[in-house]
Amino acid sequence: MPLARAFGVAALALLLSLDCAADTAPALGAKLVVVGKSGTPSVEGAAQGIAEAKQQGEFLGQQFELSIVPTPDAVPADGVAAILTTGQDDVARELAKRHPNVPVLNLAAQDDALRARCAPNLFHVIPSTSMLNDAVAQWRKQHPDAQVAARAWHPKFEKYAASQLNLRFEKRFEHPMDDTAWSGWAGVKLVTDLIAQTRNAAPAMLVEALRTKLAFDGQKGSTMSFRPNGQLSQPILLVAGEKIVGEAPVRGVADVDDLASLGESQCVP
Amino acid sequence: MRPVKSHHFMKGTAVKFFAPALLLCVAANCAAAPTNRLFVTNENSDNVSVIDLATNKVTATVDIGKRPRGIGRAPDGSAIYVAVSNENSIAVLDPQSLKVLRKFHCGEDPETFAVHPNGNIYISNENDAMASIYDPATGKLIQEVKVGNEPEGVAISPDGKRAIVTSESSNLIHILAIPEYKITANVLVGARPRAATFNRDGSIVYATSEIGAEVKKIEASTGKIIGHVPLADDKAKPKDILISRDGTKLYVAGGRANRVFVIDEKSLAVLHEIPVGKRVWGLAMNRDGSRIYSTDGASNQVSVIDTKENKAIAQIPVGDAPWGVAIDD
Repeated sequence: MPLARAFGVAALALLLSLDCAADTAPALGAKLVVVGKSGTPSVEGAAQGIAEAKQQGEFLGQQFELSIVPTPDAVPADGVAAILTTGQDDVARELAKRHPNVPVLNLAAQDDALRARCAPNLFHVIPSTSMLNDAVAQWRKQHPDAQVAARAWHPKFEKYAASQLNLRFEKRFEHPMDDTAWSGWAGVKLVTDLIAQTRNAAPAMLVEALRTKLAFDGQKGSTMSFRPNGQLSQPILLVAGEKIVGEAPVRGVADVDDLASLGESQCVP
Repeated sequence: MRPVKSHHFMKGTAVKFFAPALLLCVAANCAAAPTNRLFVTNENSDNVSVIDLATNKVTATVDIGKRPRGIGRAPDGSAIYVAVSNENSIAVLDPQSLKVLRKFHCGEDPETFAVHPNGNIYISNENDAMASIYDPATGKLIQEVKVGNEPEGVAISPDGKRAIVTSESSNLIHILAIPEYKITANVLVGARPRAATFNRDGSIVYATSEIGAEVKKIEASTGKIIGHVPLADDKAKPKDILISRDGTKLYVAGGRANRVFVIDEKSLAVLHEIPVGKRVWGLAMNRDGSRIYSTDGASNQVSVIDTKENKAIAQIPVGDAPWGVAIDD
């Protein structure tokens, strides 16, 4: 065989094999770790989220896995796409510091001070105290005498397919979905959605994508994204007794799509 | 068109009313004469508003059952189907007599469905991650297909060879081959895909994403995304989508944007934004493509859009929270 022709055949074979490789690329996989206790609402929420990610992954050839570990020390040093924490400020801070290139998602700690530190890899799924306070303040402008509580989620919330999510959670765990169960679900779902979209589970890339590319459907009717301080923007529910009386931003007080009207987004150096 | 009076709801009268139409039929599959009516489901008032297309007036309101949402027309015009969500059934409404002929069970919480040219109903079962195919004549389940989380929108190609099911919470467009009932492609799109439509030859699918605020253009044979329309309006929560009769324009119900977007099929540029009522979701087009009817859910009205002028020329008050719309013309 003349050299040129042999080269041509080899090049063609290489092209074909590359083409093949593209079609039969190894399935994308990602492992998430949640630091918390089995049976707590936020860990159950995370389990609900991973079940839904697996369901989506079946159609896209993507595999997701969630490990539950009891303490920050038990988080593996490598091979983790994202870490979720159900602990308070100190745990969230510690995890973000120990794993600087991995996204750490705070599911439970609500302090504004934690957000103001603006750790580049720390993301807050649960609303901050100032978001909840602003939601109540907006409501009181219209209803000065109303006693309402601000919540991230409520098991009786029905709009925007919230009833579907509540139903799925109750079916699986046989009790209602509360605020931290929602943040657990949302934390897993927003990470796995982004991995599915970008087809990339590299943790450093995820930190960047969470900051810049997120357009998440938290089943509360608005597109959710992270603020510069790492807080997830989201509507807040207003509850009186066991009844949902409104949503914030409160129509008539703020633009319903102006999620920035709730809470802070500043970083304090 | 005959005016609708209450006596048409009585059994004997309805049969008499039908007799001349039956005499004209020479084959079992003869089409019913169009009633020139628009049918609108009112989600919160448990009924269907019937509108005379000639006068744009509501001529009857038919009690249908708890929480009616999706609505569609039998290919031969013999029936209007209504998904009665809180009764887990499809109601079969006679478009002439306006009688509810029967209801059949169709799985939990039916929301949206599409009618195949052969008459079968393709419905998404939101809480079971399934799409189901029913024969509305018998109410029999023909096939179930496993899909993603919270299946919602359903569309069928004009030639009946493909169906689309959107999975809202898995952000997937599933493309199904018919009659194999096999998924041939799963397409990841923007958050909360709600509705889809095919072009005339069935080669292209257009799908809206409500939270992603976008329209995706997808090659039906491969599932490849070939175009993308982000809706810049930050209030846009797109739902229903239609293609013009000549295939050159797309019409998208903008939800909270309170407008219908007109998009060029080729360049994918937004050509017009037509102001309508609040929270516009449902769209239907008349046979010659000159009018589009939108359900403006939070305004309790239907808007009538002139597609030449690209503006709403009439508003028709209907029931509480109008959801879906079907046309018999």
